[in-house]
Amino acid sequence: MNLEIEEKQATIFDIQRFSIHDGPGIRTTIFFKGCPLRCRWCQNPESHKSGIEVAFYKERCAFCFDCKDVCPEDAILESEDVRINFDHCSTCGQCVSACMNDALRLVGKRWNALTLLNEVLKDKDFFDDSEGGITLSGGEPTMYSAFLREFLPLVKKEGVHVNMETCGMFKWDNINSILPFLDLIFYDLKLMDSKMHQIYTGVDNIMIIENLSKLAVNFSNLQARMPVIPTINDTQDNIADTVRLLKKNNLETIHLLPYHNLGEAKLPGIKTDLEPLDLPTDNGVYLLSAKKLFENQGIYVI
Amino acid sequence: MSQDRIDRIKNAVRTSRPGICTERALIWTRYFKNKENRKKHPSIQMAESLSDVLNKKSIKIYPDELIAGNFSSKRVGGSVFPELHGVVVMQDLFSFVKRETNPLEISKQEIWQLIKIIPFWLFRFLGFKAYRSKIDTFRFIADQLNARYYFINESGGIAHLAPDYEKLARVGTEGIILEVETLQEKVLENTEQWYFYESVKIIARGLARFGKRYSDLAFQMAEGESDPVRKQELLDISKVCERVPEKGAVTFREALQSIFLAQIAINLESLDNAISPGRMDNYLYPYYEKDLKSGALTREKAKELVSAFSIKMSEIVPVFSKLITKFHGGMFNGQVVTVGGIGRDGKDASNELSYIFLEVMDKLRMRQPNYHARIHKEAPGKYHDKIFEILSKGGNSPALYNDDVIVETLVRHGYDLPDARDYTAVGCVEPVCQGKSFSSTDAALFNVPIMLELALNQGRRFGSLLQAGPKTMAVSKMTSMGDVKQAFETQHGHFTERLIKDLQAIERANAAYHPTPLTSMLLDGCLENGFCSTSGGAVYNFSGIQCVGPVETGDALYAIDQAVFQDRKLTLPKLVGLLKQDLHDEKWRVYLRRLDKFGNDNEKVDDYTLYVLDTFTGNLNGRMNTRGGRYTTGLYSVTSHQYFGEVTGALPNGRRKGESLSAGIAPSNGQDRLGPTAMLSSVNRIDATNFANGLNLNVKWDSNTIRGETGRLALKNIFKTYFRRGGMQVQFNVFDPKTLLEARDNPDAYPNLLVRVSGYSAYFNDLTPEMKDEIIRRTYISV
Repeated sequence: MNLEIEEKQATIFDIQRFSIHDGPGIRTTIFFKGCPLRCRWCQNPESHKSGIEVAFYKERCAFCFDCKDVCPEDAILESEDVRINFDHCSTCGQCVSACMNDALRLVGKRWNALTLLNEVLKDKDFFDDSEGGITLSGGEPTMYSAFLREFLPLVKKEGVHVNMETCGMFKWDNINSILPFLDLIFYDLKLMDSKMHQIYTGVDNIMIIENLSKLAVNFSNLQARMPVIPTINDTQDNIADTVRLLKKNNLETIHLLPYHNLGEAKLPGIKTDLEPLDLPTDNGVYLLSAKKLFENQGIYVI
Repeated sequence: MSQDRIDRIKNAVRTSRPGICTERALIWTRYFKNKENRKKHPSIQMAESLSDVLNKKSIKIYPDELIAGNFSSKRVGGSVFPELHGVVVMQDLFSFVKRETNPLEISKQEIWQLIKIIPFWLFRFLGFKAYRSKIDTFRFIADQLNARYYFINESGGIAHLAPDYEKLARVGTEGIILEVETLQEKVLENTEQWYFYESVKIIARGLARFGKRYSDLAFQMAEGESDPVRKQELLDISKVCERVPEKGAVTFREALQSIFLAQIAINLESLDNAISPGRMDNYLYPYYEKDLKSGALTREKAKELVSAFSIKMSEIVPVFSKLITKFHGGMFNGQVVTVGGIGRDGKDASNELSYIFLEVMDKLRMRQPNYHARIHKEAPGKYHDKIFEILSKGGNSPALYNDDVIVETLVRHGYDLPDARDYTAVGCVEPVCQGKSFSSTDAALFNVPIMLELALNQGRRFGSLLQAGPKTMAVSKMTSMGDVKQAFETQHGHFTERLIKDLQAIERANAAYHPTPLTSMLLDGCLENGFCSTSGGAVYNFSGIQCVGPVETGDALYAIDQAVFQDRKLTLPKLVGLLKQDLHDEKWRVYLRRLDKFGNDNEKVDDYTLYVLDTFTGNLNGRMNTRGGRYTTGLYSVTSHQYFGEVTGALPNGRRKGESLSAGIAPSNGQDRLGPTAMLSSVNRIDATNFANGLNLNVKWDSNTIRGETGRLALKNIFKTYFRRGGMQVQFNVFDPKTLLEARDNPDAYPNLLVRVSGYSAYFNDLTPEMKDEIIRRTYISV
């Protein structure tokens, strides 16, 4: 499995300003492209592959098929829902340029450290007044360790608060080298049963649990998070096991995230093996019952 | 305080259908039909006819009321001003009841009464008298009935002021008459000044008598009242109105009553728009403090009186024709109450009354008054917290005004520092000095994008052969953005001159035919100088002209630069050809629409909007009006962006003919794609100090975003940055978009949904269908 991209450039699929739920204050969240996990409930399935890819948004399509005229690989399909034959597509991007309606888009853009720095500094005034900063998200940001080693010192020099959201699947060296530049880490835990973890995320959880323990010792501002996936990881057993793991690592709180199925709408438009999970969006019921279970066992939920 | 009482009064006002009151029009007409009266000096005519109205109009005290006074014969009603815009308004007499937007009740008998007076005023109203030459007169009237390039509000009177209510409350009409008598002795009889002083005396007496009428009525009602509690209340009203507004107020209640009766009278004098009580927390505080100390008042009782006063401000509506409604939609009289801010000494002037007004505003959430809050760096934390608590709960008031920028702006444009610090907004967003400015802040509205349409077609509208503007370079000969800009500036300059010429004719007509002695009596400078405010008697005499559609124009210029000169996807003649066909080629429309737009923190794009603003302010700022003041510029559009949009051709930014322009300085609808921080960064590029007549930034929030503690903090912090970087003003619309869609499709289910339109609030159902759609589309920010 590839856990590292040794390049000084990063592929980023979105930069969202005015994020107010990804750490304190007003933040700019950077979504890195590429992830070692394939969570079935993933809300950003376009973040899985580390390379730039073409995505199709059918609501915007006017069915003019200008894309078909320019495609050198004959990879444009004329069906309503699916536009790209990914087996033929070389991601040359000519269809994207030809599309007047923004229905075909390139997901991912290459950034070097300096241009990314300039981009995030646009909201520096807002960070300062709100005690906010930037959040590295994804995808899995630790995959871009080489890039971050260059980027983060520049950010810290400007006095910007840095939060990182990670799935925990990383080589220790990759995070250790950037640890001095991080102010906060959001660490996602999904399933405690390793086999179940393998089924629902594509990998077992051994490395994730190991890394959590190491970080708990080496980093002072670690915040555990868990997406509450109804009937999958909100069971009594899984929550009890999660509580045990947290307590073992002297972690007293967990941040619960509600499940929504909006990511599934993106699946037909991209190249992916992921299939819809067919779960309803949580209107707060599951989150609340999970919250109670944690709190009954002495873990404070935020 | 009795919340039940306040709820009952509020409910009575809110459920009353707005109507048209004929009394002012009929009494005014009777006065002027008398030939002897027509021979009198205009100042005397105005003072006498207004006194006549105050003396003869029907007066009412409604159940539960503590503050007496009725604007009109209807519970919620408006008056017709036949000598001003009344003739134009009366075109619509038969459609008021049935029209879709802002219907107004009027009986058949009342319609007939008004029809009978039309012939008398047809050749006597102000717009008709403005020009000596009949050709100019008809050109002007036709032009304004079919406004394309600009719209002059002053044809309906000037108004737009924050009267010196502090003085009225303190000395009463009695004190003012004393002052005038002394001044009048120093001038020769039958001079302009003498007549002015005479007129002030007449109307001061008229206003005092108006109070006595309520005193008598309350007394009579008390005699017939069986409930002993209400009987005592009526006797109290009688006692208060016996004293004020004639005498100086002694109590908090007397001060409120005095001000309210003057508020009615000024609204009957000329245009009933933007007569603003202003900084009430500031000038009423001494009364509050004194009464509290003496035990005559409690905080709760004060809140009840403020609520009673506040509700009464919603009893007036403007009677506008369908056309004027397009410019000023939403049944809005622009009566502003401002709280907080620094005092004349530069120190924070917020006090307990500021919080009382904020609480009343939050509780009532009614159409009027239009509540504004001033903020500044040194304001107490609990003041900021109170405001953001109200806003994050989903309130769309108060609008926020940044003292740090506005005071600097006013000083730069000629205000003394203490006067600048004593500003209040009037109408929508226009800062004036309380009791000192006669600023005609809504003198005219100017349609900027139509200048670009003319520039791209040698001074003709798309599809028209008429040479409307100067013949500028043909697009086929233009080889650079410099050529495009040159043509735009020429058209803009030409119509600016035409606007000023028309506006000055109206300014002179107001001074000659419609002086306003009552207004002048409550404006510092007029008495000392011996001149009416319409002739430049006040200390400050600005006239504000609004820049409408700068963002579309800027985006359109950027689109030309990008499509024609950078990407070279189109030639200029081809682009103009597309515009003339209203961008029917969807492919090109989408291409133009997708080009970058103002509001996304892109300097290159934003620079074009800045260029348009500079052109506008360069043409107008500093020019002199006929009252001895300067023209200033404003960046707000009321609802005229909708109307001007309807009459403006397709634009290179991908906007089709007839589509609305954006409001104030907000990004073009839906075009701010990077969220609020990027949008505010674009707006922060504008030097707000160029706009002494105020600026309006509408920001719409999804209620989910700003909910709870996280939302409240984010809201507070994002505007901390905006204001620190020079932002002048901001106001909010907060709702769930679903609510609005439901309200649009099912108006009966949401009778009282209040939205912010432009510096003021209106009930959603009072808006035109297009305006409703726009409110839904407008700068929708969600996370």
